[in-house]
Amino acid sequence: MSTVMTPPESAAAPPSGPVHRRIAWHLRHNPKRELWLAWWVMVAFYNLFFPMFFVVAQVQPPPQPTWDLATQVHWFDERHLGMPIGFGIIFAIAGMTAMNNALIAYSMRRMSVSPAFGYSYLLIYSLSAIPGLLLLCIALVVGTLRPERNPETIGWLYDFAFLSFDGTMGVFLIGSLIWMVAILIDKNRVFPKWFGYLNLCNALTEVVVAPCWIFQRGVLAWNGQIAWWLDMVVFGVYQVTFIVMLFQMIRREDFGSGPLPDLPRKRANAS
Amino acid sequence: MIDIKFNKRLLVVWLVLSALTLAYLWIDHSVDGGGSLRGSAVVTSSVIVIASIKVRIIFREFMEVRQAPVLLCRLTDAWVVLIAVSLLACYFVGVALR
Amino acid sequence: MTELTDKNKRTRFVPGQPDMWAFVLFETLVFTAYFGFYLFYRAKSPELFLHGQAQLDLRIGVLNTLVLLLSSWSVARCVQSARVGAYRAALRDGYLTAFLGLAFMVSKVLEWARQIRMGNGFGSSDFFTYYFFLTGIHFVHLVIGFVVLGVLVYQLRSAARRSQELVETCATYWHTVDFLWVLIFALLYVVR
Repeated sequence: MSTVMTPPESAAAPPSGPVHRRIAWHLRHNPKRELWLAWWVMVAFYNLFFPMFFVVAQVQPPPQPTWDLATQVHWFDERHLGMPIGFGIIFAIAGMTAMNNALIAYSMRRMSVSPAFGYSYLLIYSLSAIPGLLLLCIALVVGTLRPERNPETIGWLYDFAFLSFDGTMGVFLIGSLIWMVAILIDKNRVFPKWFGYLNLCNALTEVVVAPCWIFQRGVLAWNGQIAWWLDMVVFGVYQVTFIVMLFQMIRREDFGSGPLPDLPRKRANAS
Repeated sequence: MIDIKFNKRLLVVWLVLSALTLAYLWIDHSVDGGGSLRGSAVVTSSVIVIASIKVRIIFREFMEVRQAPVLLCRLTDAWVVLIAVSLLACYFVGVALR
Repeated sequence: MTELTDKNKRTRFVPGQPDMWAFVLFETLVFTAYFGFYLFYRAKSPELFLHGQAQLDLRIGVLNTLVLLLSSWSVARCVQSARVGAYRAALRDGYLTAFLGLAFMVSKVLEWARQIRMGNGFGSSDFFTYYFFLTGIHFVHLVIGFVVLGVLVYQLRSAARRSQELVETCATYWHTVDFLWVLIFALLYVVR
């Protein structure tokens, strides 16, 4: 990747005219179409993920660890339709996370840092979908399959689901740190340094949620005001920011290997 | 030489901050007289205010905000006020909901 | 963001990267939220928190604070020395800062060990949950501070590498660790 490829856009600009012709041109000729596809897949995934978890399956915000077995069984019962439907969709779209991770790894390949950063990130995050997403979905769907199951077993699935979801943040912690280090030592200015520091903030929230293994009540339980609510605020800020940052990166991309150019027209703060 | 003047200023700043820290010992001593443990909104409020003052001093002197563009001065001052107000608010709301 | 090239012309400059300032302000908000929860719950059950707090030794807290404030002083002095080109003095101050940070860490670990021996663990009471949580997350920031100091020392040691902006950035982070402790100390040890 040492030659600078002049994007054909400057040689053959998209045709002016009706929208469908311009779209067709972009689909066939835009050199960044794969990048944009990846970005839109990522946006689509999150637009499905959050409604499925929060509205259809209603498993977030999480229920309380302190509920007795009867209440837990009732909680499963209330969601006997929502969870299979919501998680069924999640199982179908879970593969889209591969595009998210690929795009982020791509951003690290574009940097002046070793490719090892991109590869390690890919490895870690490929595996992280298991504890970070799928185990919760599987455990809860299993719980809804047979409502007449022994309440003790339902309770076990309940604990397993939420502890596996909230308590396994170690993988995300390391992943965030990898991206952070890459951004901070990068000389190609792919991302501004403050975004690297934001990765550190996100990584630290993973540390804060770790005590949920110990506490059944209080601010550090898996549904606690610090471990869940405050962390979700930081996580939300981080998510929106990195989606925007990747958008900017694709817009600025010149397929070279030197510093990424700023956008034209007064993008003075894209340091 | 300018650097010697700067260094003296830094030392004075540290002395002031340390004095404010030691003032806590005095507060602590005078509150717990008699051996019984008591909550006190006055103590809590003054401790929070003193801590906020210390943070502002650290911002302005150690972190060199004094010589920074006005925006950063305003921003850090706003943050100090935000910290003090939020902490006092949380405390007093908690007291009210006791 | 320009360095102070002409000492006679006092232009206003942002110390270090503005990016680090963004991080400092954001982290401060997050910590303020933690403190807010602590104060709210403390105000709701004062006896429980007072009882727990009584088992802390204020003198250790004061000593910790003085040590960390001194480390802020030494790193501020380091930045000023580096700015005028006195790199050997700056390097000495950098090492002094690290040493003081280490003293704080050792003191904190010993204090934790003492509390645990006294039977006060992470889950013992709401007060001690907050105590270990706040001092713990601060400790993590302090450990990161050592990495940051490493970058600072690395910058100062080689004439080829020196970047005043990076030195100031590292110092800004260290000061944040200090003022966060100032707040934690006030809230855990002194507040009633």
